Amino acid sequence: MKHLEMHVVAKALGFLLGASLLAASAGCATVRPEQRAMLADPTMQFDEKAADRAALEHALDNREGSTGGGSVRGGGCGCN
Amino acid sequence: MLSRMTPSTACRSGAQLALGGVLFGLAVAFMAPSARAQVASADVNTALFVEPSTRSGLTVINPSATVAVKPSNWLTIQGGYEADIVSGASESVKGGRLSNVDIVTSATHFSDTRNAFTGGFTITRASTHLSGSYTYGTEHDYRSNAFAVSAGTDFFQKNTQIELSYGRGFDKVCTTAFTASDSPSTRLALDNSQGCFTNDEKRASRDISLDNFQVGWTQTWTPVFATQMVLSAALQNGFLGNPYRSVVIASAGDQALENHPENRARGAIGLRGKYYVRGLQTALSAGVRLYRDTWDIFGQTYELDAERYMLPWLRVLVRARYYTQTGALFWSDDYTGGEPATGPRGQYWSGDRELSPLSSYLVGARALATREGRPGQRVLGLFLSFSGAVSFDLLKTNLRDFTLGGRAPDDTLAMLWSLGLRGEF
Repeated sequence: MKHLEMHVVAKALGFLLGASLLAASAGCATVRPEQRAMLADPTMQFDEKAADRAALEHALDNREGSTGGGSVRGGGCGCN
Repeated sequence: MLSRMTPSTACRSGAQLALGGVLFGLAVAFMAPSARAQVASADVNTALFVEPSTRSGLTVINPSATVAVKPSNWLTIQGGYEADIVSGASESVKGGRLSNVDIVTSATHFSDTRNAFTGGFTITRASTHLSGSYTYGTEHDYRSNAFAVSAGTDFFQKNTQIELSYGRGFDKVCTTAFTASDSPSTRLALDNSQGCFTNDEKRASRDISLDNFQVGWTQTWTPVFATQMVLSAALQNGFLGNPYRSVVIASAGDQALENHPENRARGAIGLRGKYYVRGLQTALSAGVRLYRDTWDIFGQTYELDAERYMLPWLRVLVRARYYTQTGALFWSDDYTGGEPATGPRGQYWSGDRELSPLSSYLVGARALATREGRPGQRVLGLFLSFSGAVSFDLLKTNLRDFTLGGRAPDDTLAMLWSLGLRGEF
């Protein structure tokens, strides 16, 4: 049991460390507003056309045992 | 409860309600400009889900309408209506390979309608937004009240976006009137929804509480590459089975109401990337989602899609998805046979195929046409912009350990059509 707990804690710490490193590196990624033409396009948006996606996920939720982890709104615009 | 394919004897005229909701939404939208709204939008969607079968089958029509108005630059107010109009037939008794019970002829026809009404707001200030919403859903055997709040902001010259959300649901489900002291093996399933949420002493209302947490992180890395990570957690407590479904639990054919644990904690992580391929003028997207819960279901989802403009006003998306999951810890195709693999696994029993080990494939496509107006020249004389989308998806499920009295179900191929219209004023 103790071995299992240590295993879970080690996994959680590893995940947190990885996420922290990734988050820290995010600050180095700078895309200037004038470079966002492609990112601002609707095809590059996450959760774009949410109603269409919602109908599909509604059907899948009722046919599968898992849920969550779906898209949230967001993308590359931020032009203004 | 529609997700559990509930029968109902007193079928309400769902189509009328749905049509009324859609017309109401449109009416509000058209009135919006006279309410001095600076910007308003209306979305009307209809989805049709069909799962054909020689013995059971399922059809779901899902109309929805959403209206949003912006009385000021920082405030958006939304209202929406959605319905699930369900009809078909399903087996009310689940038995497995060893069950000496006629499962197939237990399929009963049913129809029901879920109506859901939503209201909410979004406040936007500089790079931060805050949203709140309330949804009320009702059907013959189920009531739901749900609150949700979310907040988001961006950092690093808008290259990083964080979104936090929390939702709380207070639901009620109708069951037969058993008490906590009654042995689960003596509890009976509902055979119809008559008397639900009334003083009928043969019916009981049971609570379900739902908590949902979500964190989303969207990151742009280059002018053509962005990623998104979403962490979700959910806690469910209450009656989590299907009140209509019985399970054969003894070789003599004894049946009892499906008996699931009363608590379930669920977690998922989704990772997605979008990359714009200049040479192909196409946006490619790939995603993976891992899921785990305390019922020991481990799910994996892999998705790919590609979208490009075929014409300046028309874009087309194609998508593919693969999903696989393990069964719940207490899942067994047959609870009468002694030891696994054909016997009970603990104190619970289920006839829900969503809890069995399965995999599925999905392929689909969507076409979306958009027409933008110009200053002083609105589309159809009314809209600043107008768009219409149509999509089709095909879902094939492979049930690895689920039978109905030893026979594999034939309702494993599903089709989903969707039509959506959006206008901005």
